[in-house]
Amino acid sequence: MVKRNKFSFTLALVMMVLSLVTAACSSNSNNTPNNKPDNSASSNAGEATEAPKKNVTLTYAIWDKIQQPAMEAIATEFTAQNPNIKVKVEVIPWGDYWTKMSAAAPAGTLPDVFWMHGGQFVTYATGKFIEPITSKVEAGEIDLNNYAANLASIYTLNGENYGIPKDFDTIGLAYNKELFDQAGIPYPDDTWTYAKLAEVAKQLSQPDKGIYGFGAKMDTQTGYWNDILANGGKIISDDMSKSGYDDPASIEALQARYQMTVDGASPTHQQMTDMEATEMFKSGKLAMIFDGSWRISDIDSSDIIKGKWDWAKLPMGKAKRANIINGLGNVMSASGKNKEEAWQFLKFLGSQKAAEITAEMGAAIPAFNGTQDAWLTSRPHLNLKVFTEQVADATPYPSGSMAYPVWFAKEPEIMSQVWGGALSVEEGAKKVAEMMNQAIADTK
Amino acid sequence: MNSRSRYVWAYFMIAPTLIGTLVFWGWPVVQSILLGFQHSSNFGTVNHWVGFDNYVKLVHDEEFWQNLRNTLLYVAMFVPVTLVLSTLFAVLLNTKIKGVSLYRVIFFLPQVTMPAAAAMVWVVLFAQDFGLINHLLGTRMAWLSNGHYAMLVLVIVGVWGAIGMNMLLILAGLQGIPKSLYEAADIDGAKRFNKFRFITIPMLTPTLFFTSIILLIGATQIFDSIYLIIGKTNVALPSVRSLVYAYYQNSFIYNDRNYGAAIINVLLVINLALTGIQFAFQKKWVYYD
Amino acid sequence: MHSLSPKKINLVVHIILIISAIAMLVPFVWMVLTSLKTTTEATQIPIRYFPDAPSLRGYIEAIKQSEFPHYYLNTVISAVMKTVFPVIFSSMAAYAFARIRFPGSSLLFILILSVMMVPNPVFYTPQYMMMSELGLVNTVTALWIASLISPFATFLLRQFFMGISKELEEASVLDGCNPFQIYWHIMLPLVRSALVAIVIIQLQWAWNELQWPLIINSSPEKMTLSSGIATLVSMFGTDYPVLMAGAFMAVVPMIILFFIFQKQFIEGIAFSATKG
Repeated sequence: MVKRNKFSFTLALVMMVLSLVTAACSSNSNNTPNNKPDNSASSNAGEATEAPKKNVTLTYAIWDKIQQPAMEAIATEFTAQNPNIKVKVEVIPWGDYWTKMSAAAPAGTLPDVFWMHGGQFVTYATGKFIEPITSKVEAGEIDLNNYAANLASIYTLNGENYGIPKDFDTIGLAYNKELFDQAGIPYPDDTWTYAKLAEVAKQLSQPDKGIYGFGAKMDTQTGYWNDILANGGKIISDDMSKSGYDDPASIEALQARYQMTVDGASPTHQQMTDMEATEMFKSGKLAMIFDGSWRISDIDSSDIIKGKWDWAKLPMGKAKRANIINGLGNVMSASGKNKEEAWQFLKFLGSQKAAEITAEMGAAIPAFNGTQDAWLTSRPHLNLKVFTEQVADATPYPSGSMAYPVWFAKEPEIMSQVWGGALSVEEGAKKVAEMMNQAIADTK
Repeated sequence: MNSRSRYVWAYFMIAPTLIGTLVFWGWPVVQSILLGFQHSSNFGTVNHWVGFDNYVKLVHDEEFWQNLRNTLLYVAMFVPVTLVLSTLFAVLLNTKIKGVSLYRVIFFLPQVTMPAAAAMVWVVLFAQDFGLINHLLGTRMAWLSNGHYAMLVLVIVGVWGAIGMNMLLILAGLQGIPKSLYEAADIDGAKRFNKFRFITIPMLTPTLFFTSIILLIGATQIFDSIYLIIGKTNVALPSVRSLVYAYYQNSFIYNDRNYGAAIINVLLVINLALTGIQFAFQKKWVYYD
Repeated sequence: MHSLSPKKINLVVHIILIISAIAMLVPFVWMVLTSLKTTTEATQIPIRYFPDAPSLRGYIEAIKQSEFPHYYLNTVISAVMKTVFPVIFSSMAAYAFARIRFPGSSLLFILILSVMMVPNPVFYTPQYMMMSELGLVNTVTALWIASLISPFATFLLRQFFMGISKELEEASVLDGCNPFQIYWHIMLPLVRSALVAIVIIQLQWAWNELQWPLIINSSPEKMTLSSGIATLVSMFGTDYPVLMAGAFMAVVPMIILFFIFQKQFIEGIAFSATKG
């Protein structure tokens, strides 16, 4: 402790020496037009006047810029009801999101309210970095039965509730009508199998023009996890104790997908790195691609394929028609300065009103029961019901263990060796399985 | 003025630098060393001592050795190439040819370009299908996903960005060579090449020594370009991954700060050793008057 | 050895320089061209050099999705802080190390120097924890507060001070000047050119730094140009016109500054070393 005090003293000294400069800086930034008063300033003001309701600005961190307008609309609506609480929506892209959160968590600087992913939830809950809301649920402030498909259970650990379901997502098959029409091939429908997909993908490919039938990308949730399940394989055993990557049916499914990048039915891994598969689809270079319901408005924003594309269900596999369903949740920091206000906002995010805004703006499929229909009609030119209908076929996202964040971070590294041709599919799958089993053992 | 009060002044004058060094740099180094002997969980809020476990794991980790080899290979290519090219351009631009100042500006331009911005352009230039480089060479090479070529790309990008500053430093060294030495050599009827070999090079060695140390230390820390140009789902990553990248990956992606610290502590020792070696050898080749 | 005529040598030199200059310039030209293309044009096969009609979509998207005015302001603030303070503090320390023999001077000097050998990432996690204890995470202050000193500049300036003759100093000691006055009034003006060089080098480091701003600040309005455009990559993936537009906007101020001051820039560095 002594050491710590000395250290803080030195820092205080340095800070004091520099206080002049710092002061000049902050007064400067306060003058900039769109600067909102920060937490400390406003709470000081609140204490000084002893106002019953202090003015607070909450930070709400999300990772999807496509949903930013909808989240801001919800925040605006909330502030209209609670004029003393302002909400700043902050987008931290997915690629940096968990890196930043893992730095912020031990430092106590997590955003007041933020999006949670099922895969990361356990780590944050066991570390007590996010606030349990069990008492609020028991007090009847919020009813977790309002949310579809038992989504609230994702954010429950050892009987404690932590998160309020925000939305859910499933995967669909997007196809470019124009490329099908040119080749005179009927569009994908419910009768399609994986074999049919592979066959048509080959027919539609014109590698010399840079056009390919299918984007067989190296991806989990919008990629081979669906293939594996449809083929009767497993991602992880039901009790999460063992990897399913080395299951022969899993290997077979991975092989089939990888084969398409070799056969020219799909761009190669490098080509899909130079230009992401979704971008290729958006610029009319791919006839088909698997993608998540959260990408709808992004794809629909492309001028090139506007009006020339639609969604179908994923094809049938040897075992079944499969899909991955995942639900995001909203959680609040356990170390926030304005927890009461954060709870008010969190509660509002779980309200029917917030779900309706989400649905009407087409941002995501809202979790709140009965609001999904508004989402289905948000883009009438697209066959969006494939996403809600496939909930019946879907398997939950394989998260919910301490091991998940570890193996999920390492998995793409090994699989990229397979997609890049440095490892055979079988070797790669076995390596992933070994790595996953090790991670599971380590976090026991 | 007595020496006591001179001491006080001296301590006062070094105080900001010393305190800053100890607080912001010294303390983190101590922490990093401690972290290497610990096992932390829950984002570093729970720590316990594990002795040399992290280092034992390191020694048995084939990937670590590969990363070390990659780092040294990069240094071995990047440093000499940059030094030779920078010297070449500095010598050429130390003459009275037309457009000298324009060339200097152009060669210095990459230096004022943010690496983050430059990296993006290089990715486009080296793209397989629509990249300018394949177009000009008439090839369809997957530059970035072949281990050997990817390393070459990193060296090219590194050299491109480093020539400007080093060329100027060397140019400065060249201009510092007394003209009288050359005049004396002219009287003796020395050939152009001999003047370069026996006057320019020896007189330039202190500058070359300084630039090579700075380059070396920078090169062992290569990270940005791997992060931005190669990326984490690249099949070539294992053949270019540096120690600093491995540190980043372990500390921030896998959340294993202890193993990350062990990796970076090894690099710290390597850097101290490399600099020590250079200082030890400087007497053999650096000419001080 | 064959002796070449000066004219021929001149020609060869020009050819080498022109080819190299083009190679140095290609990335800039391509950045600008790509930023003005549509996404299709940027990735078209076969490749195309020029867009049909310059499209500003890249710029519009990049500006819409980021906070460029904040990026510029934050970058300027942190670059100025990370330049002015290190120059003042380093020159003070360098003078003391060069000219005053005090107990522990060489040990302390070596200590400061050894910091240069430490890989930067070592600092990130501990410094992040410090910033959070000070409540500085996600603030502009956090961008520069830990970089107010520079061992590199201390090292370089010490060399310069050591090269200056002692006579001037001795005269002022007789006049009753204290060491700080000598440093400030007499020695500092003598190393002016070296200071220019250090200003330039520090400015560049500060301007270009990527990792620290990326780790410490996550609000878009607290980011620097470097971390801002790196975030653009996470957001836009491979939408190259947008990325190139962002990159162009990030590099253009420094390039303009460089063109205006290129004489001082280049001669500052070139001239300083000749005095060493």
